[in-house]
Amino acid sequence: MRSMLGKRALSSFVSLFVLIVLVFFLSRLTGDPATLYLPVDASDEMRNNFREIHGLNDPVLTQFGRYLVDLVQLDFGDSLRKARPALEVVLEAFVWTLWLALITMLLVTVAAIVVGSIAAFNVGKPFDRFASVLSLIGASAPDFWIAIVGIVVFSVSFGWLPTSGTGTIWHWVLPISVLFIRPFGLILQIVRGSMITALGAAYVKTARAKGVRNRPIIFVHTLRNAMLPVITVIGDQAAALLNGAVVVETIFGFPGVGKLMIDSILQRDFNVILASIMVTAIAIFIMNILIDIAYALLDPRIRS
Amino acid sequence: MKKSFILGGLFAATTALTPAFAQDAGVTIVLGEEPDLVEPCMATRSNIGRIVLGNISETLTELDVRGDEGLKPRLAESWELVDDNTWRFNLRQGVTFSDGSSFDAEDVKHSFERAGSDQITCEISRYYEGISITPRVVDANTIDFTTEPAQPILPLLMSLLTIVPSETAIEFTREPVGTGPYVLSNWAPGQSITLERRADYWGDQPEVATATYVFRADPSVRAAMVAAGEADIAPSISAIDATTDMDVAYPNSETTYLRVDHSMAPLNDIRVREALNLAIDREAFVGTILSEGTELATAMTPPTTLGWNANVEPFGYDVDRAKELLAAAKADGVPVDTEILLVGRTANFPGATETYEAIQSMLSDAGFNVRLQMVEVAEHEQYYSKPYVQDQPILVGAQHDNSRGDPVFSMYFKYHSDGRQSGIADSKVDDLIDRATAATGEEREALWSELFAYLHDDVIADVLLFHMVGHARVGGDVDFTPTIATNSQLQLAEIGLK
Repeated sequence: MRSMLGKRALSSFVSLFVLIVLVFFLSRLTGDPATLYLPVDASDEMRNNFREIHGLNDPVLTQFGRYLVDLVQLDFGDSLRKARPALEVVLEAFVWTLWLALITMLLVTVAAIVVGSIAAFNVGKPFDRFASVLSLIGASAPDFWIAIVGIVVFSVSFGWLPTSGTGTIWHWVLPISVLFIRPFGLILQIVRGSMITALGAAYVKTARAKGVRNRPIIFVHTLRNAMLPVITVIGDQAAALLNGAVVVETIFGFPGVGKLMIDSILQRDFNVILASIMVTAIAIFIMNILIDIAYALLDPRIRS
Repeated sequence: MKKSFILGGLFAATTALTPAFAQDAGVTIVLGEEPDLVEPCMATRSNIGRIVLGNISETLTELDVRGDEGLKPRLAESWELVDDNTWRFNLRQGVTFSDGSSFDAEDVKHSFERAGSDQITCEISRYYEGISITPRVVDANTIDFTTEPAQPILPLLMSLLTIVPSETAIEFTREPVGTGPYVLSNWAPGQSITLERRADYWGDQPEVATATYVFRADPSVRAAMVAAGEADIAPSISAIDATTDMDVAYPNSETTYLRVDHSMAPLNDIRVREALNLAIDREAFVGTILSEGTELATAMTPPTTLGWNANVEPFGYDVDRAKELLAAAKADGVPVDTEILLVGRTANFPGATETYEAIQSMLSDAGFNVRLQMVEVAEHEQYYSKPYVQDQPILVGAQHDNSRGDPVFSMYFKYHSDGRQSGIADSKVDDLIDRATAATGEEREALWSELFAYLHDDVIADVLLFHMVGHARVGGDVDFTPTIATNSQLQLAEIGLK
């Protein structure tokens, strides 16, 4: 188990380094930040001065070397746009994204497992059909549209919830609801399918023959066996949320890392691009390690 | 007893659960993007200027965009020409900065030098480029600016220079200090910026005590926030949402046009350029893709600009004449069949893609071979500014904003042979720009007027399309009318409370 985690951590570190190299050079291929930062009628002298101040006139390899030396000292550089440390800007936004992802995935996981399990136990019955329709709608509905309709209905028409922003617990309701729908639909399908397979296994028939009741059959015997593919999909969906829920952040004015990342790419704010990619990559690596641990806990074969 | 206890409990629970997003006594303004900085010397950047200009920071002079007073005193009480090259500004006395220090000529000198410093890239400094300007403090309340060459519009240029205390370091600040009626009291990055009214402001106290700026990228959400009572003013919403009594349309000082590079065939032929202009049915866009109230453009700057020429008529829609002109050019060997690339910028304005698609279709109907390419801002800039892409003839769809009252802020860049975005090289145009820039009063106005007519009718420099209209949503609790300058500044003192 320990050696597995050690190998995982090492491969994650190598992947992170490759990512830094790729993003550093690729982002610099996309153009000159001075062009975007300065007004269109700025003179060549102003542009050159901007590049000089930010070290962009040096050869790219020199810039990369300097970046690595700073990085070892945990200095991610300053944002070109905001004149603040890039890491500070990214962490400020990432905290919002992390909470949004954590709360959403917790709710999604609980709801999908409960509904999916019950649906699997009642295959073909009205509850199962209802759950299938619900999951299909959830998995296919465009979140942009749901977000706007949510605002119009619940904020403007009924006045129950704030349209957007942050500040109170009520501000979280619409963004989390919108983010909830798609992963819920998807994971519900996986839980249902996986549970149907597990419920057909010989050991379930044996348990039934021994007179074990339905609830222990679902939640004790089959769920553990059915969870492995579910965990994979949960990890995948959580990674997508950690990368930032751009649509939700844009519409609800949630100051998360997704919109920050997109804006920094459009503005060629190199240090913010790199810092945000590194922070999210590290978070995803940590999450993958946690998923590996969860696999090992559920499946003794992996532990051995 | 038990019943009232339960009711009391329910009331308490309901109160605790009631969404706490109701309005306080101040105003909330919802903008499309958060500024990266709240730095006074970057206030000519619209997302910064809307918060800083006239609220936190003030300038020596200001342009009257609501009335017809022209240039008005602000921190300077008066100004005069001492000699051909020297302007003297007599400064207002009894003015203090929000840090308590008093305002004097040294602050003006430092603000000017800080803005031009090569240690930081202050955007305001670009307006002073190519002019040698030397400030000299005469006494605490008087300052001279000597310029080379003479600058008749230096007082107008001073409406852009935000004044900071002489102690302000030459690096970008996150805690701006100014002489304005408001002070930055809170900035929660990504969430909001709050300004509070200063009790010790030198001028009249504005009605609004606190202003909270929040930021929502989606225009529908901005409109919904005012409708739901969460915000009082959304200065920019989309035309599609502007359907209620709360919505106000206003000319937003943006001009949309197709920049033509005259150096490449077939666009170097005046008949081809005239055909381009005649082939576009401009009227068809108004009230359909673009808002009602959009005006047809005959100049790069809006009609409120000095020297705008009312005698210049927009090109009519005459596709038959366009075809004739193309045929005549073809007969003379002009390669009119060459593919022309039309470059548009994605999301440049609401309906940008549809507008350029319609233009492409109209030009094709007239016989042009046009390919449309919509690009993001950085790629667009590669086509828009020199050195130009020379692979093929290119039309660049773009917008230009000038709410500053004088064409000098536009014409050099857009039409002078050395202009960074000029598609032409015409000695008469250069001469008119140089002379108008140096002229004053009626002569200046006449020269700009002559230039507008010459560019539109004789050179047919580009395809001028529209003076655009913006839409604001204003809630019922406030009294606010947007102006042509609302894009770049939004003075809280101009907001009334009902």
